[in-house]
Amino acid sequence: MTAAADVGTSGSPTGPLAGLRVLELADEKGQFCGKLMADLGADVIKIEPPGGQHTRAVGPFLNDIPHRERSLSFWHYNTSKRGITLNLNTSEGRGLFHRLVPTADILLETYPPGYLPGLGLEYEELSRLNPRLIMCSLTPFGQTGPWRDYQTSDLLQLAAGGQMGCCGYDPEDVPDAPPIAPGGGNAWHIGSHFAYIAIMAAVCYRDVTGEGQYIDASVHEACALTTEAAIPTYIYTGNVVQRHTGRAAAVEKSEPTQYITRDGSWLNTTRSGFNLTPARLRRLAEWMDKYGLAQDLLDEKYQSPAAIQANVSHIAAALETFFAGIPLEEAWHGGQKLGLPWGAIRCMDEIIADQHLQDREFFTEVPHPELGRSFTYPGPAALYSKSPWRISRRAPLIGEHNAELFCGELGLSQAELVVLAESGVV
Amino acid sequence: MTLPRALAGVRVLDFTWVRAGPWATRWLGAFGADIVKIEWPEHLDILRSNRTTIPPGMDPSPNAPGQFADTNVNKRGVTINVRMPRGLELIKRLITISDVVIENFSSRVMRNWGIGYDVMQQLKADIIYVSMAGFGHTGRHHHYTTMGPSAQALSGQTFLSGLPGKPPAGWGWSYLDDTGGMYGAMCVLTALHHRNATGQGQHIDLSQMTAGITLTGAAFLDHTVNGRAARREGYPPGNRTAWPGTAPVNNYRGPTVAPHNAYRTQGGGHNDWCVIACLSDAEWQTLVDLMGRPGWATDAKFGKLSGRLQHQEELDEGIERWTHTIDKYELTEKCQAVGVRAMPVQSAEDRVERDPQLKARGMYPELDHPLLGRRKVQSVPFKHSKTPAAVHRPAPLIGQHTRQVLQELLGLSLDDIRAGYTDGTFWPKDMPLHHYIEETLR
Repeated sequence: MTAAADVGTSGSPTGPLAGLRVLELADEKGQFCGKLMADLGADVIKIEPPGGQHTRAVGPFLNDIPHRERSLSFWHYNTSKRGITLNLNTSEGRGLFHRLVPTADILLETYPPGYLPGLGLEYEELSRLNPRLIMCSLTPFGQTGPWRDYQTSDLLQLAAGGQMGCCGYDPEDVPDAPPIAPGGGNAWHIGSHFAYIAIMAAVCYRDVTGEGQYIDASVHEACALTTEAAIPTYIYTGNVVQRHTGRAAAVEKSEPTQYITRDGSWLNTTRSGFNLTPARLRRLAEWMDKYGLAQDLLDEKYQSPAAIQANVSHIAAALETFFAGIPLEEAWHGGQKLGLPWGAIRCMDEIIADQHLQDREFFTEVPHPELGRSFTYPGPAALYSKSPWRISRRAPLIGEHNAELFCGELGLSQAELVVLAESGVV
Repeated sequence: MTLPRALAGVRVLDFTWVRAGPWATRWLGAFGADIVKIEWPEHLDILRSNRTTIPPGMDPSPNAPGQFADTNVNKRGVTINVRMPRGLELIKRLITISDVVIENFSSRVMRNWGIGYDVMQQLKADIIYVSMAGFGHTGRHHHYTTMGPSAQALSGQTFLSGLPGKPPAGWGWSYLDDTGGMYGAMCVLTALHHRNATGQGQHIDLSQMTAGITLTGAAFLDHTVNGRAARREGYPPGNRTAWPGTAPVNNYRGPTVAPHNAYRTQGGGHNDWCVIACLSDAEWQTLVDLMGRPGWATDAKFGKLSGRLQHQEELDEGIERWTHTIDKYELTEKCQAVGVRAMPVQSAEDRVERDPQLKARGMYPELDHPLLGRRKVQSVPFKHSKTPAAVHRPAPLIGQHTRQVLQELLGLSLDDIRAGYTDGTFWPKDMPLHHYIEETLR
């Protein structure tokens, strides 16, 4: 089944953040935080410069035709938001922004440190307009320190943050391989996750006290916190982990955990030794035997933890042959049926067909009315029993909600809006 | 003066273990919530039995692993046997005075213990219950189990990492345990605000594996909208934005540019690498000037982006001839001083010992632990002006706060507590007591 995006039908339950308004002055660094809040029910108003934000120039594009309304990256990161344009470099633009601030609960911004204060829009000024305002500045390195003004990108953050130091290849697989930065834009995801919890903690505090506050959040620190045991391994043992193909970077060399299957795809068995107990090995061997590929693993001599440990390489070799003889889907589901936490290394082509995800209505159809089409988006990671997490609309077109906000809410006339547009303010 | 904490007065009954769940409650604790971690010594948290982060020379024990210590700061530790009627009754009493119950077991464990969400609601009408199973609590494969690597594989995360024509490089740690922890904390905080606004609690059924799918960025829409097959030549393109001669979709992390890669730096060690990215022709020219305008770099074919993308092999070789004689930090400073995007690839040691930014921001303060002594600990990545989050309490020794919590929160007498140690409710009968627990029973 596929969930339909909520198109504003009355009576349907609202998301858990309904009633909160967020002003988003965020580009690639923070737009995912805004998306999470918007999909969870907040009224997120994305404020772009006239003509649209630079994030609209990032591909891939619909049918590979570059256009500011066709960026799939922009679509992905800006669902459920409303969009207005405003030039903060003009005094009129700042005047309109001043009028929006009292209507907001949260201001999320990712400008270089010092940029907003240079326009007179620092937290101290804005909190005078709205003492309940929670303002979060999410920046590459934070508001202070020697790297504060450094230029960056997703790749740079993953290098400095420690991700690349952990990801790569065994020399047997790729000699002289570089450290690898996984794709997807995860430096910004990591920063946005931490910004989200920082903001929501401040919201919970405000629920009780009525007080807003300012948050200085750093993508670099968020990434530096996201390498699991690497830092504690160094702090407690003085050792530095080394990269291995597709498995945990570790101080000592470990057995491979990825196996190629008959269809040329890869299976991940999670950890060396396959989480095998004697009982699981027996059931695994019985399963392999159905394909005539059990070799000698049904032998009683393997029925002790010590024997399994002593024969890990032999078992691995037998499994390697077995996996190479069966399709990926059979391999990972078969392992799960034995209680082994195995997973297929899937790409989107396979994920979209996952019936479990369909059961959970993960796949969300989002209408794009101006195109006369709907597209399938990734939906909620969690099911909220009382207040659904769901995409409420596609990303805004450039300035789509200018009239709604500037005329409907702030009381400008249509004629005034035209003049503002012509003079480059909106 | 002590500053207030954002979640002061919020109590979390924490059944989580291993990494994802405890990483979630670490942050709730940093915001000042009272985290009551429930454990049982016969089913030890795997991080308590892991030996790879025990300091050299220290005897293995459930209190010795450094990874447990860093993951579980800001919590109190209680041992109660949930499978005994007396233990279950006390857990139920704790639920009645908690705001949040959180766990990351497989999907039916809490229900089988007799404390499913329906029971929790009877005990505390507005309880917030966050479950963090790999596949969630509903759907045909809810009983499947995952660990970080398999969740990463199934969500598409692993596929996006690697060089074309090679096995997946994947993630060198359980990224989706770290991230699952973030989602656990996000769900709790979101539900707390919702409860504050409406008076309602709820069950939040998180699936860690599912969270990873959205983090493949625009890869999902490139498939569902454009129909582009992910298994294609030249993909994934390693650290490059696109492999020469293939579709330029940039591994879903930003614009398609060159140079954009990792390069060897002075020393030749495992982590003597830097990264450089030029997002425009102008940035490239600045790099050419910084390199001293070597002949190869001034060739007209590198002047425009399309040429640099086409000739990436030659481009990357040329850049590395320059970087490999320079220390990675010196190179970073040189580049950044003129606006060229460069950063060192940093190991854990680099981050703790050499990174001037993390040092200036106070990322690794010291904390006293009763067994491990004074150690650096990972702090928090945000600074709140009114309610600073902090690492304020070391990880609990196993069972360290059983008496304290049961006396303070449930009003048990010392005799009640001693009886619980005698009958196996608070500690397995046949397992010797740690001295610090014995001291609490005097």
